[in-house]
Amino acid sequence: MAKFITIGERIHCISPVIREAMNTKTPEPILKRAKEQLDAGASYLDVNIGPAENNGPELMQWAVKLIQENFDNVPLALDTANRSAIEAGIQVYNRAKGKPIVNSADAGDRIENIDLAAANDAIAIALCSREGVPGSVEERQGFCMELLERGLSLGMDSDDLWFDPLFLVIKGMQDKQKEVLETIAWFAEQGFKSTGGLSNVSNGMPKHIRPIMDSIMVSMAIQAGLTSAIVNPCDTRLMEAVKSADIINNETLYADSYLEI
Amino acid sequence: MPFNKPVPKAGAAINELEIGVGAGAIKLGGENVLPFYVFDGEIKNAPKIGIEVSDLPFEDAPDGIKAFYAGTNSVAERVVKAASAEGADFVCLRFESADPNGADTSEDECARIAKEAADALGDSKALVIIGSKNADKDAKLFDKVAAALTDKNVLFVSAKEENYKTVAASVGLAYNQKVAAESAVDINLAKQLNVLINQMGVQNQNIVMNIGSASAGYGFEYVISTMDRIKSAAMNQNDTTLQMPIFTPISTETWGVKESISEESEMPTWGSREARGIDMEVMTAVSVLASGSNAVMLRHPTSVATVSALIKALV
Repeated sequence: MAKFITIGERIHCISPVIREAMNTKTPEPILKRAKEQLDAGASYLDVNIGPAENNGPELMQWAVKLIQENFDNVPLALDTANRSAIEAGIQVYNRAKGKPIVNSADAGDRIENIDLAAANDAIAIALCSREGVPGSVEERQGFCMELLERGLSLGMDSDDLWFDPLFLVIKGMQDKQKEVLETIAWFAEQGFKSTGGLSNVSNGMPKHIRPIMDSIMVSMAIQAGLTSAIVNPCDTRLMEAVKSADIINNETLYADSYLEI
Repeated sequence: MPFNKPVPKAGAAINELEIGVGAGAIKLGGENVLPFYVFDGEIKNAPKIGIEVSDLPFEDAPDGIKAFYAGTNSVAERVVKAASAEGADFVCLRFESADPNGADTSEDECARIAKEAADALGDSKALVIIGSKNADKDAKLFDKVAAALTDKNVLFVSAKEENYKTVAASVGLAYNQKVAAESAVDINLAKQLNVLINQMGVQNQNIVMNIGSASAGYGFEYVISTMDRIKSAAMNQNDTTLQMPIFTPISTETWGVKESISEESEMPTWGSREARGIDMEVMTAVSVLASGSNAVMLRHPTSVATVSALIKALV
């Protein structure tokens, strides 16, 4: 085991401020969000540039260099459907603080992102689904093995595949939540690393409910064996849960100020 | 099947910290392997030994100590003599007389004595200042002494829970000296004090830990397990709030236990008091070095020479 890894999700082109900053190559809004997330304790930052069909490679390189040069080579997850943009980003990526993460591969159209990660000595987030929502724990396990075999056959270390059980929205798929936790427990039994878009679970809930739901979900998922999650690190309640779980799991030594560091 | 020696993954490194200036400057820490594990990797800086000198004359000291310091007539002269002891890497000047329950020497007088001693010592050996054990007095004392020893790069032992704000602000920030954070064999407080001192603006690279000690045989296993856990957090969990080198005062513990103070006349079967005192000091020092201390403070010149020989043989 190791300390729980948080991947900050707030540099995302779905946000109008970030989209505008990416369109106009304005560093400030991106740097501001990077700093907020790192101050809040994020280990990795996700950089989502959207589909970026026209200028993906160039945009990703700009964003990677901008963030890493300003924040001591913070490790990044490169997040786009544009494969050449991920590759371009890795070319300028500094590995001093950790390998780049390819976000993401799945067992369907995006399986070649495993090849991309293998060819570039990167970590791949491996989403255990093909099209739509997997029907059962067993189906997720099947996709997991498919992704694992592909990675291993290309020379990847299994530690560089972070399996994503596919967190699902509670409002609408409440009956599927236990399956997600069971899948995580199965990953942990195999010794696999795992991650996922945790805040999916509280989608559509009132703003004041989301931190409560997310922090309880992350606690339950960590107990099941989750090793990482893509989260909003500026959610204080969630980060309190993550840091407290690291204490209880003896992954970090307790001190009265543990929430501040 | 051939035997392949497992090579442990190199851990995160302990901070490297320098005290003193010029020829006498020494470096503590810097290693990323367990104590004396030279087969796992380089020990960047061998553990260092400081020799303790009190600002009070050695009235109750064993003959060997009295003989060593014979002919010295001032604190400055004793400090210079101490620096010449075989195996001593630095000198610890302890303001025992500043204790308000004792002679209560004023902080201004202590600063004068410290300055005189530091000037006499020059750059030949690094200097460490040890307080009176009274937290309030030490805060005042360290402030004056730190001001008198600017540019000497001195380590002050210690800032405690009761006085860390004052000590960190004066010693660490105003005078840019090195600060030891002292906790009494309490692993969580050891981390907490480092965090608090750092939050005041003192860089982690300027902090040393004094996690407390005990004489061997006197609750000593807690000292050892605390050190083990700190080194594990620092190296294996890359906990930057625990990567400070550890300084452990030994002599102030071991020379106060019955094995070291009972006269031979009271305990004839125990043999020479002086030999027992040296044994207690050496055994305790070697044990904390084997558990991760980067520096120790010893009193008897024979102990200094013995432990120094051991370090040289192993690193």
